[in-house]
Amino acid sequence: MSRNKSGLLKMERRWGMLLALPVTLGLILFAIGPIIASFAFSLTDWQIGGQSSFVGLNNYETILTKDPVFTKSLFVTIYYVLATVPVAIIAAFGLAMLLNRKVKGLSIFRTIFFLPSIVPRIASTMLWLWLFNPDFGMLNSMLEFVGLPGSQWIYAEETAIPSIALMSVWGVGNYMIIFLAGLQSVPSHLYEAVEVDGGGAWRKFYHVTLPSMTPTIFFNMVMMQIGAFQSFDSVYVMTQGGPNNATLLYVVYLYRVAFTETKIGYASALSWILFIIIVVLTLITFRTSRKWVYYEGGGK
Amino acid sequence: MMVISRRKWFFLLLAVLFAVLSACSSNSSNNEATSSPSDSQTPAETSEAPKETVKLKFMYWGSTDEKKAMEQMIKSFNESHPHIQVTGEHVPGDYNTKMNTLMAANELPDVAYLGDGLTNKWGSEGKLLDFSQYYDKYPELQNKLKASYLFTEPGKAVANFTALEIMVLYYNKDIFAEAGVSLPPSDPTQAWTWDEFVSVAKKLTKDNKGRNAEDPNFDAKNIDTYGFSFGTDRGTYGPLLESNGGGILDESGKSYALNEPESVEVFQKLQDLIYIHHVSPNLIQQQNMPDNHVRLQTRKVAMVLDGTWALLDLTNNKKLNYGIGVLPKLKEPKTVILAGTTVVFNSTKHPAEALEFYLYHNDPNQVDLYRTGLWMPTEEKYYTEEAAIKQWTDNPAHPPDFQQAGIEYTKGYAVKSPSTAIKNWPEINSKLTPGLDLIWTNKKTAQEALDELKPQIEPLIQGEYPNE
Repeated sequence: MSRNKSGLLKMERRWGMLLALPVTLGLILFAIGPIIASFAFSLTDWQIGGQSSFVGLNNYETILTKDPVFTKSLFVTIYYVLATVPVAIIAAFGLAMLLNRKVKGLSIFRTIFFLPSIVPRIASTMLWLWLFNPDFGMLNSMLEFVGLPGSQWIYAEETAIPSIALMSVWGVGNYMIIFLAGLQSVPSHLYEAVEVDGGGAWRKFYHVTLPSMTPTIFFNMVMMQIGAFQSFDSVYVMTQGGPNNATLLYVVYLYRVAFTETKIGYASALSWILFIIIVVLTLITFRTSRKWVYYEGGGK
Repeated sequence: MMVISRRKWFFLLLAVLFAVLSACSSNSSNNEATSSPSDSQTPAETSEAPKETVKLKFMYWGSTDEKKAMEQMIKSFNESHPHIQVTGEHVPGDYNTKMNTLMAANELPDVAYLGDGLTNKWGSEGKLLDFSQYYDKYPELQNKLKASYLFTEPGKAVANFTALEIMVLYYNKDIFAEAGVSLPPSDPTQAWTWDEFVSVAKKLTKDNKGRNAEDPNFDAKNIDTYGFSFGTDRGTYGPLLESNGGGILDESGKSYALNEPESVEVFQKLQDLIYIHHVSPNLIQQQNMPDNHVRLQTRKVAMVLDGTWALLDLTNNKKLNYGIGVLPKLKEPKTVILAGTTVVFNSTKHPAEALEFYLYHNDPNQVDLYRTGLWMPTEEKYYTEEAAIKQWTDNPAHPPDFQQAGIEYTKGYAVKSPSTAIKNWPEINSKLTPGLDLIWTNKKTAQEALDELKPQIEPLIQGEYPNE
């Protein structure tokens, strides 16, 4: 009977909605709501504790035309992204290749190289603070041991960003695992084909491994790019943006504006600009990906 | 099959919604519960409401020792005031950020420590209880030293310094004795000139072979003991600017004055201590050094510039034989009063009880923090009347030198830190700090760095708050 059938459908619909409710509500209350709110704030001059009034696009105009610190922090961030992403991709990929070989104690090596990713970020940052210490840190001691001059690492304007990039490369374990999974799904018959044709290790890598891995490389690249643009914690702990704003990553600046200078409206505008930058860059990456990412199925 | 009825379905949905919403707004519902008990309770209970204990929240910062002392004070207050229950919350780390967040979320405590910058800002925005309204009811509110009040408008006092604190010089007596150098003066009229100070610092700075900074073979790359270490904030340059007649802003409070000769000289002299005289650690070495009392004790440093609050930690460090002196002078012997405030937020539901706690929390008759060295009183009699002075200084935390380097120095030579009266100081300071880094890291001379800061600071200047 139709009544029965529709009753079941109705019940399923109800239960479906009910069970999806926690997630949906969470998304609305903790993600979409704040996103809309932050856009609304960005159109006001709200300072914590003060009155707020609607100022239209004033904040955006000030940021883009009259804020030298914004420009500086944007360049610092781009520098940081450019310094981290390629190096981290190569490092993670290289490590994954090494860990994909059949050697003794493989699982031990895999554990060792993944370990830094399990260490909480703040803990590893404190550790690196010691390593970077110019007077008695391990890095300078090692340099001294082999007869090289030491560095000021995170404490000098010129070396601060490269040092922090170096540290973030240390924690590429997550990306390494994704690469490793990708490597293991490269079809072995392709390698056999190269062998039959008399190709060596380099040909295997260049003609099989690399093309098969491009989707994984692409995925990791996009994720890393977004992650690098949003980096905050290590700089906040190590340098607070100093010396002389040399490590003032975008989000650190945003944080400073919001919670030290208490300008929530202005900080919200900053966050929307960051959002737009990331969207645009990700779109560009997607566009270029058509030229170099190879999908086995043929389509995209 | 169980079929859920329409009604049950509705209640389920409601329950979920309610759970989520109540989790989000736990605070507002709490507030209602405390503010309007009559709404939810029976009339019988309402009539007893006045006897109900009032709950207050108090937030503060400070070292472990300060935390202990505060907990003790809160405990004795709660015991002597059965109708008020104060809960203390010690906030380690970035206190201002925490307060800003609480302000944004409308979850402020009733009474709290606050930095002078935020006190001014929120005071002028009407977020703080205006004490002058309560002078009749609590006459004690007026008894403090004039310099300890913060005014946002003439006659409108929104806060008081929690305690008075001035910047002084501490030193390790043993290092002086071994080097055969006479101790820093504690009499303000005898304050060292800058050159005398530098020459003493040089004698005390030792490299790892035991040569001092005056030795021609002195190895500046391997220094074991520095003569002097200083912070890079207004606690250091503030008193020296005063002494040299310089300032962050000019007399009118309307324009930038850090690139004037008197101010530049101060920053140049500090930079020279690090990079020319090699008697002070640079910024990096400093960041990796322990607290001042440990620096002195472990002979990393012979002299430090710090506030009088440090007496607590210095005295508690039993391995350290320290002394207290006045700062070197550039033109006049001067120091600054630099202290945090305690405020009552306007959002409190119980202003009367909050003020009662406020008056108790820094009353020298109740609180141990004066005798242990952390605080100096804010009432005048504790600097002028012999018995009152004795009450808080006759103890190990106040060595004999304190009578001059502490009390006389405060009475005759200390001015309220001008930065305390600068409007928009938090934002000005957040631009100032990275700019000054160029001096501390020897990238630029003081003149260059301070000239460069001018266009950044000038648009932020909004004048000064009144002094009474």
